[in-house]
Amino acid sequence: MGVTCVCQVPVLEGKSVQQTVDMLHRQLEQLGAMKQGSFWVDCETYHTTGTASGQPSKLLYVMHNSEAPLSCTALFEGGPCLMADGNFDVLMVKLKSHFQNAKGHKVESRGARYRYCDFLVKLGTVTMNSSARGISVEVEYCACVVPGDCWNLIKEFIQSFLGPNVPELPSVFATKAEGLFVPADAVDTMTQYLELFGKVRKQQVLQGASVR
Amino acid sequence: MSGGPAVRVSIESLCEKQVQEVSLDGMETYVPPLSLSQNLAKMAQRIDFNQSDESEVEEGTSLESEWKQEQPQVEAEEDCQEEGMLHFQPSLWPWDSVRTALRSALTEMCVLHDVLSIVKEKKYMALDPVSQDNTATKTPQVLQLVSKKRALATAASVLLKGAERLSKSVCENQENRRQRDFNSELLRLRSQWKLRKVGDKILGDLSYRSAGSLFPHLGTFEVIKNTDIDLDKKIPEDYCPLTVQIPSDLQGSAYIKVSIQKQAPDIGDLGTVNLFRNSTVLISNIHPRYPIPFIHFCSAQNVLLCKEILAQLSREAVQIKSQIPHIVVKNQIISQPFPGLQLSISLCHSTGEKAQRCSPDRPDDHLYVLEHNLHQLIREFHKQTLSSVMMPHPASAPFMHKRLRLAGPLAYNKNQINSLQQNEGLLEKIIKQAKHIFLRRRTARTIDSLASRIEDPQIQAHWSNINDVYESSVKVLITSQGYEQICKSIQLQLNIGVEQIRVVHRDGRVVTLSHQEQELQDFLLSQMSQHQVHAVQQLAKVMGWHVLSFSNHVGLGPIENIGNASAITVASANGEYAISVRSGPESGCKVLVQCPRSLNKDQKCDVMQDARWAQLRGPYREVQWSRMEGRNFIYKMELLMAALTP
Repeated sequence: MGVTCVCQVPVLEGKSVQQTVDMLHRQLEQLGAMKQGSFWVDCETYHTTGTASGQPSKLLYVMHNSEAPLSCTALFEGGPCLMADGNFDVLMVKLKSHFQNAKGHKVESRGARYRYCDFLVKLGTVTMNSSARGISVEVEYCACVVPGDCWNLIKEFIQSFLGPNVPELPSVFATKAEGLFVPADAVDTMTQYLELFGKVRKQQVLQGASVR
Repeated sequence: MSGGPAVRVSIESLCEKQVQEVSLDGMETYVPPLSLSQNLAKMAQRIDFNQSDESEVEEGTSLESEWKQEQPQVEAEEDCQEEGMLHFQPSLWPWDSVRTALRSALTEMCVLHDVLSIVKEKKYMALDPVSQDNTATKTPQVLQLVSKKRALATAASVLLKGAERLSKSVCENQENRRQRDFNSELLRLRSQWKLRKVGDKILGDLSYRSAGSLFPHLGTFEVIKNTDIDLDKKIPEDYCPLTVQIPSDLQGSAYIKVSIQKQAPDIGDLGTVNLFRNSTVLISNIHPRYPIPFIHFCSAQNVLLCKEILAQLSREAVQIKSQIPHIVVKNQIISQPFPGLQLSISLCHSTGEKAQRCSPDRPDDHLYVLEHNLHQLIREFHKQTLSSVMMPHPASAPFMHKRLRLAGPLAYNKNQINSLQQNEGLLEKIIKQAKHIFLRRRTARTIDSLASRIEDPQIQAHWSNINDVYESSVKVLITSQGYEQICKSIQLQLNIGVEQIRVVHRDGRVVTLSHQEQELQDFLLSQMSQHQVHAVQQLAKVMGWHVLSFSNHVGLGPIENIGNASAITVASANGEYAISVRSGPESGCKVLVQCPRSLNKDQKCDVMQDARWAQLRGPYREVQWSRMEGRNFIYKMELLMAALTP
């Protein structure tokens, strides 16, 4: 478990998502990274069917990550978060009366997983309803768990293959009450992915077909 | 009870009078009712004094009473005569009959009194008992016989009933004794084996289920009461009141045979090896006091365990993908741990009747250690399903290691999960163990053969007592006899693993050898040749000679097939002589000596005038090493050095 940074790579002008992804693959391989299989992260949305009308129904997001194959994360946006094992999905089925699955809103990111010494890089295509919407890049530095110590290193590494599109410090770490020097964990990664997916969903409203 | 006001109730008798006459004008004339006195008279008339007279008087005076009865009749006639004169008016004087009756009673009483007084005097009258008439009660003889017979019959029936009851109770006692034996045996059986009652049958459990096994065989046996025993005859020594019926596929005895052989030339030979052997040996080892059913249980349970082991191994052999697939033939599993080698694990089950011994097993064919390990591994597997790490487990969690249940909530990644999970099955473990055993044996054999073949540098092997199923270690020392303290630079630590041998040299080099026998042999031979050179180096230090050059791997001269040649050049203390040794694993040792030029008189040269040039060492000359005295190389070398030192 290390410090993770999830960022979105904008699709190059005049190119498709797939081409951009291939270009990134090539860059990474040139760098000397070794392909180590594939990864996927997905997110399902549930509406709370609350009894109090007038309040907007809260959205519960249930996410899975292939890095932790036996786990399941459940989060409210900006709210409490839960790490559970695989039975949580079955529990959600049982709670159908309180949480309704919004089937059209499932977002997932799939792609290749590269390893470069202590870095794990995951390049994924973000898809919603089997249409590609964007590209996600997750960089994990496995040797450290404190974001404040290794953020600069991660930034430099990302710069080496992403070029100018360098993200700033993820808000997850910045908004932590205890500061930057608190160990990061899997919840932070999933929160970052959730933000990314939210952005991708909103993007759908603005530009649909051009992303293809 | 305190109801309303009191009601006056008056009672009036019905005044019903008899109608005497009804006049013409309808007037009824009633018979005047009787007055009281008239009523009394009417009632008195009803009294029959004659009747009461008869009940009070004795029988003996019956005649007298008869006479007395006549009297009132006479008197009654007299009265009637008197009354006849008076126009048949019987109720002229209602008390007449009463009077007569009383008078008769008086008369009778007077007579009785007279009689009694006369009898009391005993002068004129005496009382005699009435004699019984014997002749009337005399029964005939036949009737007596019949009655006696009947009496005897009833007595006999009572006795017979009693005897029957006695015999029944004796039978019951014996039955009880037998029953008690059965019960006590059953109790003893129950104290060691699991029994339960199903309907009217008693079934038991032979399997390892309660110990954690997941094998589907039920392993039930049935306990039957042994009733075919004749109580009159003497009970035999080994009589057991209960017999057990073991399922037919668990009868007899079985064992697992693990052996390593050279690979069978033809696949068709597999499975034709007959694996039965005499199993009578098993039973004789059991304690003689143990009754027969228990022995059968133990062997049946062993059969079940062997079947489970083989089933688990076969399942894994089929499921697990390996480079060289395992062959499962009938009761045998064959796999190839090393090329040219074949490991066969087979279940040998003999049902006792077959006494065939086909290919007799060579005693060293069995790898008993592995068979024992198989049993231990399967028991280990049983314990794991029952261990506190697995059980108790929450209803919602899958059946796995305790820590693995936390993998979900703690977001373990794949490395962490793999470190917790056990991936190896029984077959893999056994194959690894077999490989290690084989490699270890072969290494030992190689070292021993080298040691016996080569005398000059001696090989000593010190095997470590502490080893693992997958790893053993041996320390190999190459020394020269007599010079162990000086020449001890070649010390090798061999770590024999599953497939490789790792050699750690004293000087820190680590060499990994494969399982090939030849590699180890070549390596040891090269080390032995290097030892000679190292020994010379150490000897030079002791003797005071200087080492001019030393090389473990010389690049000059003929190429060796195994390893490299090593060479050393040493010079004497005063520099006059030099010895050069080249030692190769195949080419052996070659020793050359350099002597000072001054010794070589015939090579006087006019060019060199100065005498000091004569002190230089001259050309090399080879020593005929085989003609040197000394039992080993270093001894000879020492002699040579001593000879060359002035």
